[in-house]
Parts: sequence; structure tokens; C-alpha cells
Amino acid sequence: MGNAIELDRLTRSYGHRRGVVDLEVEVREGEVFGFLGPNGAGKTTTIRVLMGFIRPTSGRATIFGLDAWSDAPRLHRQVAWLGSDPGYLGELTAAELLRHLARLRGLAPSAWRALAERVDLDPGIPIRKLSRGNRNKVGLVAVFMGHEPLLVLDEPTSALDPLMQREFLRLVAEARAEGRTVFLSSHNLPEVERSCDRIGIIRDGRLVEITTVGALLSGHWRSVNLVLGTPPAPGYFDLPNVRVVASSGQDVHLMVRGDVNELLARIARLDVRDITITTPDVEDLFLRYYDARPGVPSTTADEGAAARAAR
Amino acid sequence: MTAATFLLELRRSRSLTAWLVIVGLAYGGLIAVFYPTISSNSAVVDQYLALFPREMIAAFGLEGSLADPGIFFNTYIGSLLWPILATIGAVLIATRSAADLDRGWIELPLSTPIPRTRYLGALIAAQLAALAILAAATTGGVLVLGLLVGAPFEAGHFALATLLAFAFGCAVASVTTLLAVVTLSRGTAGGIAAGIVIAMYLFEVVARIEPDLAGLGSLSAFHYLEFVPVIDSGALPSTDLAVFGAVSVVSWLLAVLVFRGRDLVA
Repeated sequence: MGNAIELDRLTRSYGHRRGVVDLEVEVREGEVFGFLGPNGAGKTTTIRVLMGFIRPTSGRATIFGLDAWSDAPRLHRQVAWLGSDPGYLGELTAAELLRHLARLRGLAPSAWRALAERVDLDPGIPIRKLSRGNRNKVGLVAVFMGHEPLLVLDEPTSALDPLMQREFLRLVAEARAEGRTVFLSSHNLPEVERSCDRIGIIRDGRLVEITTVGALLSGHWRSVNLVLGTPPAPGYFDLPNVRVVASSGQDVHLMVRGDVNELLARIARLDVRDITITTPDVEDLFLRYYDARPGVPSTTADEGAAARAAR
Repeated sequence: MTAATFLLELRRSRSLTAWLVIVGLAYGGLIAVFYPTISSNSAVVDQYLALFPREMIAAFGLEGSLADPGIFFNTYIGSLLWPILATIGAVLIATRSAADLDRGWIELPLSTPIPRTRYLGALIAAQLAALAILAAATTGGVLVLGLLVGAPFEAGHFALATLLAFAFGCAVASVTTLLAVVTLSRGTAGGIAAGIVIAMYLFEVVARIEPDLAGLGSLSAFHYLEFVPVIDSGALPSTDLAVFGAVSVVSWLLAVLVFRGRDLVA
């Protein structure tokens, strides 16, 4: 399989303002690639270049080998895009809008119908009367109603309720099962964790790392809060990858990194009344990169972040 | 051009066009109904108008007797109502590309296989349709109601007047379209376009009042918006149509070229 997306030293600036700098990314066909970064990091700029809305200042972006700028209309036959906050025409009903977009994409005018039913979208209501969550449903239907081999999604779940987020993850999984490629920009780590094969982390317009979700999480501390029936024996949690942050009788706060199986086995032997395991959210993960200044060990930042998450 | 985009844009222009048509029909029709009264009292009306400063009379394009159908049409419609309606319609419809970028709509159709040229082509086609409807309704309203009250209006002459009015509207819309894709700001493009129209109106008035500055007139679109010979004798305004046509075609082509290579950043 080749690459669905290639960014070759892609740089885009807005006058003196930084957009993205020297991005080097390859997204393989058939994979779900998460593009993580806080607001203003350059995710949307990258996607706008990919979609041919703006031109690179230098470098190149290609989709299935076609130049994202000069071949835009041709490559749009192979791409379905969902922006983070599309300005739908409020006077149209969801059905009218979806029918219109289906026509423009060369799909059957009713291509949206089954998916609209699946996400429980009322197609007869003018879009201006829809809640933000329902407008996001319109976006989901619009992007998934076709059969384009590449889906480019810019923070698609920001206003979806948990049920719809789950539906979204199912749709992404189905797309992957069909061999389609998904480029998903997000700052929602659980969403990325559940759906992506690999992720790229962007910070201040520069790519910091490309890794797998597993590798990203295994390098970070998770917080484990226990409420026990009886206090554990001293040194009970002495494991190389575990630190006891606080232990006050029956309440124990641990930090664990990497393989959690041994810790879970030890916990299982205790009389556990309650347990909370907190995955660091993306903000905490970013702290690793943001706080990794000379002289400041990144683990310190991780621990601090995880401790904050536990609170 | 794409049919789906054209139809959608036409639909989006529907309400604005309808309101402008109502204004055009109401004002034009009302004025036309008064034509017989003005005509039969032309001597008194001319005497009355002579009391006004020459500059003011020139500003309203009133040079001759209001009993003359051409002067009558030019005074109330050609140099007053139509430029206002056409400018409002053209500016609001032709700045839509910039407004749609600002609201985040334009990326949706442009994320599909529709090339930018065809997309803007559809928007331009919708402008043409809206302006054609508006021009036909405005001149048609005067003609029909004028005929009903016995005014000596010629349908063929009014058809030519409609063509000239449409061409003027196209010129305004095309320049506004160009400004919209260059500035990508509805406010800026609309403001500049309206400013240009007002400046041209002043140029024309000054050129009529001051013979030394007559050259200014040729820079004004209003110089070529001369309905008197069209309404009175059915003269084909070929030069005026050619000027407006050339401005329109060049501006729209430039707009398409600019839009093709423009970063879509609001």
C-alpha cells in the first residue's frame, strides 16, 4: 500500500504569523491517523492546505500522489472533508443541504438518508434551528455518506454527546474496515486512543512526534486512586514502574507507567472498595512536550500532569 | 458553472430580489401612473422646475421637458431608481463569495470535485439571473402601468431600456465580484463598490455642470446610462452596451482568475 497523504517539509505562514513549519508526515493508505495538538498548534492550517483551500508557503502536500493545491478538484473526488465549524446555510433544512452536497460530490441525492436515520437526525428542520450537536450530526452524515477513500476530519466530535461520539467511533472503525484512510484532527485523546493507529503531535506549528497511541500512553504516568477495605502492607506496591504518591490508611494514590498487569494483579488480591484509573488527557500529554525545557525532566512534568488529573 | 450551485444561489437571492422587485414595481408603477398628469401640465411643471438651481436639475438628469417619455423615464427611473436598486442588488449578491468565506460555507462546496472556476461561474450566473429579473420588473412595471393610464410608451423601446439597465447592473456586479474575491471581505468590497458608484454619479453631475470638466463624464458609468434616446426613438445603445459589456466581461474574467489562485483565508 502507498501513502494516502504526504507532507514534504510543508510550511505555511500568514504574513509574519506562524502557521505550520516543515511538517513531514506520511499517512499510509487504510490507516486512521490522529493529528493531535492544542488550539492554535496548526492542525486546521495543515488540513486547509491538504484540502487546497490555501497554498503552502513552501514544501508540498500530496494526496494519493496528487498535489493538494494544483490538483484540488481532481483529488476531491477521493476525499470527504469535515471542518471543525462549517458555516452551514441556516435557511436550508438538513435534507436540502445534504442533498446539495451529495449532488456536488456526484453521489445519489438520497445517499445521506440511511446515515441520517442511524444518527437520529431530523432532516426536515432548518439548520439554523438545530442545536450545535445536531449540526455536528449533519457534518457526520455529510462526510460519511460517500465512499471516498480518504476522510479528512477536523475536530469532528467537539459538540457531540457521548452516545454520538461512540457512533462516530463506530463509523471510523467501519471506514477503516472498508480500507478507507482517515486523517483525524483532534484534541480529544480518548477519541484518538480508541480510533487511531498512529498519531502525530503538533506543537507551535511543528511536528513533535509521530507515534502509536500505545507508545504514547505507555510513556506517561497514569493515576490510580484506591479505596481499600484494609490498609495494604508496607511496600506492597513496590514495583519498578509504580510510585506511591500518597497512602493514608485505606486511601492510596499510585502512579503507574507502562505495563499495568502486575499492578492490577496485586490490586486484585486486596479488598478494593473503589478504584479510579485516570488516563492523562491530551493537555497533560502536551505538557510533556511543552515542559520539556532544558533541566526539567519530562517525567516530572508527566507526574505533575497525572497528579493534576487525579485531583 | 454547476446547475446545483446555480440553483442554490438563485434560491439564496430570491428574497432580496423579490423585495427589490417590489420596490421597483411600487415606485416605478406609481410614477408611471402620474405620467398623464405631468404630461398634460408640462408647461406648469417646467415653470416650476425652472425655479430650482441648475446644478440640482442636472443632478437628477432632468434636461428637457418631463412630458417627454425619455426625459420622464430617465429622471425618475434611469438615473434615480434603477442605479439604487441595481447597486443594492449587485453589491449584496456579488459579495457573497466573501461573505460565504467569512461564515465558513464556501469550503464545503469547494471541498467537492467542483473547480473554483465553475463555482464562481455559478455565482456569476445567479447574479445575471437576479439582475435580469430586477431590470425587467422595474422597466416592465413602468411600461405596463404607463400603458394602462394611456402613456405613449413603446414596448420595444422599453425592451431596449431593460437591456441597458441590465448591462449597467452587470457592470456594477462584475466589479463588485472582482473586489470581493480580491479583498475577501464583504464589507470592504461592498463599501468600495458603493463608493465607486457614488463617485461616478458625482463625476457625471460635475461634467454636466462644468464644461471644463466634461471629460470626467466619460469616466462615469452614468455617462453611458442614457435612456432618453432609447425610450424616445428606440435607438439601440450599442456603444453604452459595449462599454458595460466590456467592463462586465473583463471584471468577471479577472474575478475568476483571481479566485482560482486565491488563498481562502477570511
